[in-house]
Amino acid sequence: MAELDRSRFNDPAYMAQRIAACEREIRKGIIGQGEVIRQVILAMLTGGNVLLEGMPGLGKTRLVSTIGKVFDLSFKRIQFTPDLMPSDVTGTNIIIKNEQGSSFSFERGPVFANLILADEINRATPKTQSALLEAMQEHTVTVGNVSHVLDEPFFVLATQNPIESEGTYPLPEAQLDRFMFKVLVRFPGREELKGIVALTEGSREPVIEKQMDGEGLLAARALVNQIPIADAVMDYLLEIVMETHVPNPHIREGASPRAAQALIRAARAKAFLEGRFNVSFQDVQAVAYPVLRHRIIPGFEAISAGITEDDIIIRILNRKVT
Amino acid sequence: MNIADFLIKSVSALSIGAGAGIILQAVAFFVPLYYADLYMVLAFVLAELSAFVVMLVKQTTMEQAALRMDGFGFEERIVTAYEQLDREGLLVRLQREDAMKQLREHGDRIQIPLMPSLKRTALLLMLLMISVGLSLIPSAAKDRAGELHSIREEAREKEDELEEFIEALEQLEQEELTEEQQEMLQEMAESLESSLSEYQQAVSEEMLAAASRKLEYKYENMSSQLSDLIQELQDGAGVSIASADAMEELADQLKKMRDERLARGDGSGTGQGGSKGNDQTGQNGGDGDGNGQNGEGTSNGQGGEGDGNGQGGDGNGNGQNGQNGQSGDGNGNGQNGQGEGGSSGSGRGDGSSSTPHDYVSVPNAVADSGNLTGNVGSHETSEFFRAQNGLNWEGEHTSYEAVIGSYEQNAYEGIAAERYPSGMEDIIKEYFASFNN
Repeated sequence: MAELDRSRFNDPAYMAQRIAACEREIRKGIIGQGEVIRQVILAMLTGGNVLLEGMPGLGKTRLVSTIGKVFDLSFKRIQFTPDLMPSDVTGTNIIIKNEQGSSFSFERGPVFANLILADEINRATPKTQSALLEAMQEHTVTVGNVSHVLDEPFFVLATQNPIESEGTYPLPEAQLDRFMFKVLVRFPGREELKGIVALTEGSREPVIEKQMDGEGLLAARALVNQIPIADAVMDYLLEIVMETHVPNPHIREGASPRAAQALIRAARAKAFLEGRFNVSFQDVQAVAYPVLRHRIIPGFEAISAGITEDDIIIRILNRKVT
Repeated sequence: MNIADFLIKSVSALSIGAGAGIILQAVAFFVPLYYADLYMVLAFVLAELSAFVVMLVKQTTMEQAALRMDGFGFEERIVTAYEQLDREGLLVRLQREDAMKQLREHGDRIQIPLMPSLKRTALLLMLLMISVGLSLIPSAAKDRAGELHSIREEAREKEDELEEFIEALEQLEQEELTEEQQEMLQEMAESLESSLSEYQQAVSEEMLAAASRKLEYKYENMSSQLSDLIQELQDGAGVSIASADAMEELADQLKKMRDERLARGDGSGTGQGGSKGNDQTGQNGGDGDGNGQNGEGTSNGQGGEGDGNGQGGDGNGNGQNGQNGQSGDGNGNGQNGQGEGGSSGSGRGDGSSSTPHDYVSVPNAVADSGNLTGNVGSHETSEFFRAQNGLNWEGEHTSYEAVIGSYEQNAYEGIAAERYPSGMEDIIKEYFASFNN
């Protein structure tokens, strides 16, 4: 790999190239799922958390570990189970006995890492799930009376199985809203599957190299936040969010203001990733699906008619022609 | 871009105008709409005007122009760069450079067509053809609209005329008049208002003609009444000259109007047809110059061709076998006159046209019956009469002596004005004298 030139961390073109290189490197370790990779990188560029929804065995864990390698980030995996306790996630105060006597010491939980894979998050109880809330939103963990700041960059990539509902605790809306993206991990095509088999069952594992580090990622994020947006594009983006609140038999609840913020940030990140320094209507449309699909609560009519969140978003986008 | 936008808007607006025109023309097939064509043109003009106004009010801004340019594959680079012109920063500068670079490299992509699309233009032409085509197809409703229009035009003239008279009547200084006289003037005004209302409601030639006939009669009566009033005022004391003059002027005007109407043939057939007296028993024929003397025409009115619609009458209608009509002047060719040549005589006869009266007298008994409301003379029920029974008009009773007296007065006035052939004066005097015997 080309050595990271830290002196050029403020150079948008250079940073865009590095991020693009990261994407290519991740693709070496993950066959197919190009859109999933792209969306996870977009979320990382904006500091957002991602909820990956898909069947088991689609490479979700592999994806997260690969990202960790490419971005040189500390990576922790938490397998969520019904008996998982909040302290198992955040850490806890333990009694330490020494010559001076006994004292409490905070033992960091697995949440203290740059990249957290919350595997099958919906299997844990709401109490444990909510233990992640503060970490996801504030990037801090409070145990007792002490708040502990998490290392930056900090990302949570949670996974959930869409079909196994027995023994699960669906994520509450408040927690869902804290995920920037909900990414659907779909079953790969035949050729992709062939590639996956060849990659994983072959004699030689691909070598994944570091392309970026946490500092670079934060620098890239700062650049992304400066990308200008035209008024017309901003209006369009806001209209999309507002449209989810227009009386619609298919929508029970519309998107929150966080959706608008997420749309702006994600659209900027997409433009940056494509080497552009402005946001286009297409950028907004492309990120509308992962941003809105978990923020729109379908109504009874939509559920009974088999209309998905993505179908509703398509209709909104079609109505709001640029 | 503004021009292109204006042209597109114009075509759209004209299409809407043409659509409105088609609707108007379609309506004109069923509803009498005289100005359908004019309204259609107005719709076009309005549509085009609105397109122009919209263009002026909603002029394309630089941001809109930039957005439009971005539509040619520039992914909002141009509009973003334009909006960030007054800002500085690394990303802003890079974005501006990127936009300029793209514009330089791919500027030829921007091609905004000036003319509206063929589809829009074809649609407009089609709509135009349909609307014009519809306007050219005749229909009963269109004919009726034309007829109604001419009726209304004519009625409007009369309405103006009546309003002037009513106003003149109301402006007369009535303080110096007796209550009776004031009442008379009030009745005149009300009578004219009634005619005004008739004209306003006239929707057919028949209604218009009927209203005209009544008005003519009213003019004549009013003229006479006003003349009498003036005479009374002049005989009496304490009336200002100005008031008398105003009334006289009004009376003259009424008379003039009546004469004009007669000359135009308005309201002919109201028994104005004069009798053409055939001097069948002329005696004392003249000296051979053909002027029959003492011809006592039996005054069988001839002619009287008034058609009842006020059309065609020439005011000198030759009443044939007229009955109960008003007298007219006629020239009769004396026959059997003594002397050489046909003697010509003049006679006055009770000629009238064969045209039936279009008004009836409503006696009190009927007026007060359960079917009618109001009393005679109250002028409250004329609408009802018209609606229910056709043209009903409250009758007025004039004594036989008064009629003869009026004729006699006119005749003597004619003699004084030397309107009759020489030698006829005595015949006329004898004729009227015979009534007094």
